[in-house]
Formats: sequence, structure tokens, C-alpha cells
Amino acid sequence: MPATSRAFVKASILYLCSGAILGALLLINRWVPLGSAIPALRVPHIQALIVGWLTQLILGVAWWLFPPLKIGLRPGETRPVRRGQQQRGNEPLFWATFVCLNAGILLQVVGAPLYSWTRIDLFNVLASISGLFLLAAAIAFVLNMWGRVRALGRGK
Amino acid sequence: MPPIARTYIKTAFAYFVSAFVLGALMMLDRWLGFSRWLRVVYLSQLHLLVVGWITQLAIGVAYWMFPRFLKEQDRRPRGSDALAWAVYACLNIGLLLRFLVEPFYLMGPKPWLAATMALSGVLQALAAVGFGLLIWDRIRAMEP
Repeated sequence: MPATSRAFVKASILYLCSGAILGALLLINRWVPLGSAIPALRVPHIQALIVGWLTQLILGVAWWLFPPLKIGLRPGETRPVRRGQQQRGNEPLFWATFVCLNAGILLQVVGAPLYSWTRIDLFNVLASISGLFLLAAAIAFVLNMWGRVRALGRGK
Repeated sequence: MPPIARTYIKTAFAYFVSAFVLGALMMLDRWLGFSRWLRVVYLSQLHLLVVGWITQLAIGVAYWMFPRFLKEQDRRPRGSDALAWAVYACLNIGLLLRFLVEPFYLMGPKPWLAATMALSGVLQALAAVGFGLLIWDRIRAMEP
């Protein structure tokens, strides 16, 4: 498993654990009131599990397991157009996907409850811009994987 | 595919079908009005899909396909079977408890129903942490 995928998968497992613990706190709060701050954890619970865990796991495993691009030797040249990790696509762009995705998740997970608890506008702004980071991550991932999926069609 | 992974994946399929059957009944209920229970079961149905189907399928496939341990690291190629079964038990007991209890809690909250739901949340959180422990060291580079 390449280092890029390992980072995605490890981060996804951390989000699974934290999202499940938040969910347990929300359920415990129905039995033993833990405080008025607890219901605000619903948004981080959903975001951590749907985007942080499931989506991030899918992106990491897709990068690892989708068939690689061909090495691509040009006629008359011995040096391949791409080799190693380049056969998976643009690795720096995939790291940028990782940064944008996790920045988006963390801004939402931290910003939304902090705004709910403090009503400080800065936290609302941070939570609001989280969507732009997530959008950037989605676009970067699709751009990166498009060639690998298209190459599968060409192989038929 | 090892038996534990097959069990995870078959159980995930069962939740997938069950959740869609429930979803169909919920939609029909809007027209035919079968039962009050179907009007409060939506959160449970969502958890059947997200935890029972998608998460359980992801756990089963990860347990099956992630790089295995070398013999020098662990004589069990996929780590502790006991932990994998414990994760399976916690996840499914937790999820089913929630599914059985939450609609009745929403129709009329009672302390014992709330306590059972809290227990279901703790069991699912334990399953998540257990899976993290089970799989963490297998997230590594493959041997050349």
C-alpha cells in the first residue's frame, strides 16, 4: 500500500473511532444528561463518519487498488514517460486532496459545535468555508483518477 | 476469503436488503398508513444503512484485503481472530439494540430505553476502536 493511501486509511480509521465515540456520547446524553453542549456534537458525528471515515477510506483504497496507468514508453526512447508512483497519477495532487479533505472535515467538525456553543462569528465562518475545501478535494480526486478510469475503457 | 470476512460481508448484505425493505415499507406507509412505528424508525433505518451495510462491508473487505502480517511479525496473518469476532459481536449487538429500542424511545421515552440505547452506542464505539486496533498495523507497504 503506498504512503499516500496509508495516510488516507489511517486518517479514516481515526475518524471512525472519533465519530463512533461522539455517537455514543449523543446516545448516553439521552439517558444521563451530560450537558447542553452535547447535542451540538451531532454535526461532527455525521461529518466524521460519512466524509472522514467512509469517503476517505474509499479515496485511499481507490488510489491503491485501481489499475495503474501504463508505463508509457515513447518510440525510440528508453526512459519511460511514467513509472513507480506516477503510474497512479499525480502524487502531489493526491496529497493536496488529502490536505483539502481533512482541512474541510476539521473546520466543520471543530467550527460548527464551537459556533453553537460560543456564537462567535469566526467559528461560523470557518465552518462555512469547510465546504469549499471539501469541494476542492473532490475535484482534485476526480481529476487525478479520471485518467485511470478512462484507461480501463481503452484496454477493452 | 477468510470465514470472518465472509461473515461480515454476508451480514452487511442482510442489512442492505433489510434496510431497503424497511425503506419501502416507510414509503408505502405514507400512502397506506400501516403503523405508527414506521413513522419513527427513520433514524434506525439510516443507521442500518450507514453502519450495518456500508461500514460493515468496508470492515469486512479491509480485514480480507489489507496487507497481511509477515510470519516473523505475527503467526496469524490477519491478526487476532478473537478481536475480529469481538468487533463483529459489538458492532451487530449494538446496532440491533438501537434498531429494536430507538423507535419505542421516540414514541415514549423511558429511562430503561435510554439506558439500552446508551449501551448500544458504547458497544458500537467499542467496535470502532477494536477495528482500529485490529487493522492499524496492517496499514503498511506491501513487500516487493
